[in-house]
Amino acid sequence: MKSEFKNILIIGIQGALSKITAELLLKKYPKINIYGVDSRSVSDIIPRDNYIVTKIKYNRTNFEKIFRENHFDIVFHLGRLGHASRNQDLNKRIDVNLIGTNAILELCQKFQTKKVIILSTHHVYGAISDNSMFLPEDSPLRASFKFPELRDVVEMDQMCTNWMWKHQESIETVVLRPANIIGPQINNSITQYLKTPLAPMPMDFNPMFQFVHEFDMAQILVRSIEELPTGIYNVANDEVISLHDAVKTVNIKKIQMPIIALEQIAKIISPLWKFPRYLIDYIKFSTTLDNTFLKKHLGEDAFRFKAKEALELLKLN
Amino acid sequence: MNKVNFSLLEKQLKEKYETRNDPWGFSPEKAITDLKLLYPLYRYYFNVKLHGVENFDHSKNYMVISNHTGQIPIDALLICTAFFLELNPPIVLRPLVERFLSGLPFLGKWSSEGGAVLGDRQNCLNLLKREESLLVFPEGVRGIAKSSKNHYELQPFTKGFIRMALQTKTPILPIAVIGAEEFYPFVFHSKKLANFLRVPAIPLSLNLLPLPSPVDIYIGSPYQLPLELSPDSPDEEIEKHILNISDEVNSMIEQGLKNKRSFLKRN
Repeated sequence: MKSEFKNILIIGIQGALSKITAELLLKKYPKINIYGVDSRSVSDIIPRDNYIVTKIKYNRTNFEKIFRENHFDIVFHLGRLGHASRNQDLNKRIDVNLIGTNAILELCQKFQTKKVIILSTHHVYGAISDNSMFLPEDSPLRASFKFPELRDVVEMDQMCTNWMWKHQESIETVVLRPANIIGPQINNSITQYLKTPLAPMPMDFNPMFQFVHEFDMAQILVRSIEELPTGIYNVANDEVISLHDAVKTVNIKKIQMPIIALEQIAKIISPLWKFPRYLIDYIKFSTTLDNTFLKKHLGEDAFRFKAKEALELLKLN
Repeated sequence: MNKVNFSLLEKQLKEKYETRNDPWGFSPEKAITDLKLLYPLYRYYFNVKLHGVENFDHSKNYMVISNHTGQIPIDALLICTAFFLELNPPIVLRPLVERFLSGLPFLGKWSSEGGAVLGDRQNCLNLLKREESLLVFPEGVRGIAKSSKNHYELQPFTKGFIRMALQTKTPILPIAVIGAEEFYPFVFHSKKLANFLRVPAIPLSLNLLPLPSPVDIYIGSPYQLPLELSPDSPDEEIEKHILNISDEVNSMIEQGLKNKRSFLKRN
């Protein structure tokens, strides 16, 4: 983005990644104003004159109000709701992820936002037994073939990319599809899985994983303002590591069992074990990403932490 | 016969793979463990012999093209073991495997830890770019799933492999395996039954376990594709090279059958 920018909206500010990104933004661009919103209670953020955070209900009226009152140059949509364990939560997730995202994109256009940066996920490609290693960005999105619970993840990504091409003349849009983000502050499904002692692990499958440290991911979000033109980017480290090696590196004991038993046990212990059943395929089959397109723009030094280093840091935490 | 120094082999493997981290899950430690278990079968049961080692130039990586025989893919296992044990320094051949294998519990994990890779275009190109040598069976399942009356009949080669070799400028190394068809000498394939059960092939054989037929693997001369040939050339231009390679494998099979060792005369 060549033009100047002043006001930045971060949707989903309560997430650890958003908080790190906001701090890095303020460090790099001290004169900007950050407006952070979340549907959850916002905590652990030191208020500053140029860093305002608010809890809002995610609906069009509330978003329109903040768009009207603040002229946002850049919008970070990091507010995709993660994985739900109950049906009620699932409905809410679909509502926020699809209807909410649609409203946000419309408002970006209406209020002439200059750049939109959207955080999608590698889950969109699906964990399928015949996945190639290093899926490029134009691979088919097959996540919802087996588990309808993942349909909003795929549909949100597709909605954003369709919108991106349709409005590329007026708004720069970047869709990021990161591999597994891990770190001491982040609390997503894979971090929880790696840190949970005695969690079940498949003994008959050993998929390959890519890990992105939370700091690297936040840096890439910041750099995407000026360095990434409109497009879809896989965000993944070069280093690939098997699930069994990753667990060994974190050094937390797991219970090994055949996947068929793991799937059944996951149903029984689901109230205790928060790992969603429909993500079990991701610890069964590999979903690794080709990072060529990202590195073309950000260079070879886009990642400070290698996968093993990121896992070691998780262990220290 | 020299004793195999597995510790040295493991050290050589680790030197190559631990510094560059194999994304397809190849594990030097597990490969050596499997090799130790497989070795008595390789050496004494199938009595494998590798011929033409002088045709392998260690300064290059190859796309190794072989006939596919033996009903179950033991031939791939024996070829990979032979290239690893009989060539110096040892060569890790990466066999490209059928899609259904990667979805099978234990087998998919075991095969990828031993170096096998799901055989699709993307993986193939990435492996060649990393200067790995591949083992390709361009006959596919049609090659391995033959009834007794069609033993050693080479099936038509697919075209994909040659385009990938052209794209990465990788030389092709034809090889021929003799002796594997005799693992199951009396076998019949019911295509209807295989279709009904939705599996690639079902061999109906008199013996359940493979018989101890001695196996000879012949390495031919490398086939260099013309440098001016584009990977996007029309099929007609590609086909003549496929025929040349197929003829080369066929002539090695014919020659190999003339010198074939029997069950009793194994040396």
